[in-house]
Amino acid sequence: MIAIAHELLEAAVARMPEDALTPARKAALAHFATSGFPAVRDEDWKYTNLRHAVELSNAWLGNEVVASRESNMTAAAEQAVKAITESIDAYWIIVANGIATVDAMPDANDLQSNGISITKLSQNGNVAAMIADDPMTSFNAALLQDGLQVRVHPSADPSKPLAFMFVDEATQSDLSQARLIIDVGVGAMIDIIEAHVSIGPDAQFANTVIQLDVADSARVGFVRIQERADSHIQVGKLIADLHGDAYFDYASFDFGGSLIRNDVAINIMEPGASVNLNGLYLAAGKQHIDNHTRVDHRVGPSQSREEYRGILGGDSQCVFNGKAIVHKGADGTDAEQSNHNLLLSETAEIDTKPELEIYAEDVKCAHGATVGQLERSALFYLRSRGLDRDEAVQLLTRAFAARILTASPIAEVHAYIGQKTDQRLDALIHGNAQ
Amino acid sequence: MLEINKLKTTIGDAEILKGLSLKVNAGEVHAIMGPNGSGKSTLAQVIAGHDDYIATDGTVQYDGQNLLELTPEERAREGVFLGFQYPVEIPGVNNAYLLKAAINAKRRHEGQSEVDAFEFLQLAREKMKNLDMDPSLLNRGVNEGFSGGEKKRNEILQMVMLEPRLAILDETDSGLDIDALKAVAKGINAMRSPDRAIIVITHYQRLLDYVEPDFVHVLSEGRIIRSGDKTLAQQLEDKGYDWVREAASA
Repeated sequence: MIAIAHELLEAAVARMPEDALTPARKAALAHFATSGFPAVRDEDWKYTNLRHAVELSNAWLGNEVVASRESNMTAAAEQAVKAITESIDAYWIIVANGIATVDAMPDANDLQSNGISITKLSQNGNVAAMIADDPMTSFNAALLQDGLQVRVHPSADPSKPLAFMFVDEATQSDLSQARLIIDVGVGAMIDIIEAHVSIGPDAQFANTVIQLDVADSARVGFVRIQERADSHIQVGKLIADLHGDAYFDYASFDFGGSLIRNDVAINIMEPGASVNLNGLYLAAGKQHIDNHTRVDHRVGPSQSREEYRGILGGDSQCVFNGKAIVHKGADGTDAEQSNHNLLLSETAEIDTKPELEIYAEDVKCAHGATVGQLERSALFYLRSRGLDRDEAVQLLTRAFAARILTASPIAEVHAYIGQKTDQRLDALIHGNAQ
Repeated sequence: MLEINKLKTTIGDAEILKGLSLKVNAGEVHAIMGPNGSGKSTLAQVIAGHDDYIATDGTVQYDGQNLLELTPEERAREGVFLGFQYPVEIPGVNNAYLLKAAINAKRRHEGQSEVDAFEFLQLAREKMKNLDMDPSLLNRGVNEGFSGGEKKRNEILQMVMLEPRLAILDETDSGLDIDALKAVAKGINAMRSPDRAIIVITHYQRLLDYVEPDFVHVLSEGRIIRSGDKTLAQQLEDKGYDWVREAASA
């Protein structure tokens, strides 16, 4: 494993303009220095090698790029963004190369009247809340130019989802850090969308952190749509703290990327909270998609449900690791995880591991994983009715994905992700992905 | 229409059909009877084109073309229909969608335009009524959670909608109560026509009380050992398969 060029990293952090984030950057840098990038010898990174991400980071650090406060998108990037933002009706906030473009923000008064306020993290944010306790979150914090602080007011019930578009363009920056801190007030109900696109033939590496704090009795629907370009790397982490009776309903869709690692860490902090996690990954060619989820049941009663499904073709490699930890005293925990995979080629690979760690007495837990191919009997049945092979495969794979597509908690995205799934499956089946 | 000549078929290492010959003309209804393991379902699957079944010798001609060279979907579009003994449950694939896709695949093959959505629904509802089928089954996953009788009726529904030229019904009567049996028989009888052939594969004589065959064949150990008219079915019912086997080996 090649290491990060630490002197260059230190110099880059020192070069960043002095602002409210400066102490946090320095602390994060110090933390990162103790670990460096995760290596495949770390159990959590066993199947995902960040070597290319380190190379890209070193190259970027070597260029001594001066942090810019604004980021402009080219027409190509704008077009890629519009393909999504014009298909899904939401309050869209564009985060380009890690930097929120303030000009493109939805009208602040409109947001305000829907109970949402957004500021730069450096201006009015809770910088102290910034999590930097593992290699990738501390790398993010050390190089973070600025983040966004989102506050959803108590009892707010916005009329549209709040959506964040993370767009990266290799010609502008081959390394980017983005961070959102979202506090959802007591009793609020909100839908949040996290979308990813990227542009450009050159390699790039984006590192994203989203922190959510969901107050008592609040409900959050959350959909992640990842369609980065096939030469691009992204590592993302979503951390959600759930308070009393809070409900977090999450669905993740991976369509693109060369190497994608997405971590979801849920902390059940108070009784009555529940979480529903769903994921779908469609991988073709040489794509590598790694989904790690971890639910910490710190107290009971609480409930977690999880189902991820994957359809893999070509030489793709996917990883699923779903961990539920039931802490001592978290009685009344009900946790269930499953992961199902469909392999369409002989060279595709899935490494799956649902895990349970139970330290409490009165719990109900179940987990399971399956890896299989299309059912031959179903394929023959459809063909015996006159459907050609490809059409039958498309129908059966779509049916396999349907459970996750319909589980998506945000109505506004249904049509879009359905259409995207069809496109990806088509490419996957016909072997001409992207 | 269908001419099978000395067909040998294997699945895995086992030879199931051991030189089977059968000729079926348009307008005829044939019943193939035989004990379990005699090769009845293998015959049905090999005609429909399941690739687990390998034809090692002999020929199958359908309307003058070599049927064994066609893919399962080509056979279906050419008018071959298999009613499955165990219809497959396919959750997530809509029953109406499959029915329409099947009809359109055939229509495209015949150079016709796709079926009108409204007309399709009207026709499907009418045919379902004739079969005493709950119309809501159209909007479920294919055979998903269907009862045994509903699955078999769904096979018959597909048949009457697709209007095949050669229909093979593999133990469509098994597991049916008397009402379902009558409904299924009604569906089959409605299909009888001078330019269509029907092969009914069955273990029991019961269905043949309602669907009167022109010919009855007894299949045993991969060969047809006796053929006759409908009275053969009655004799089998009275005397059992051992009677034919003994007569054949004598």
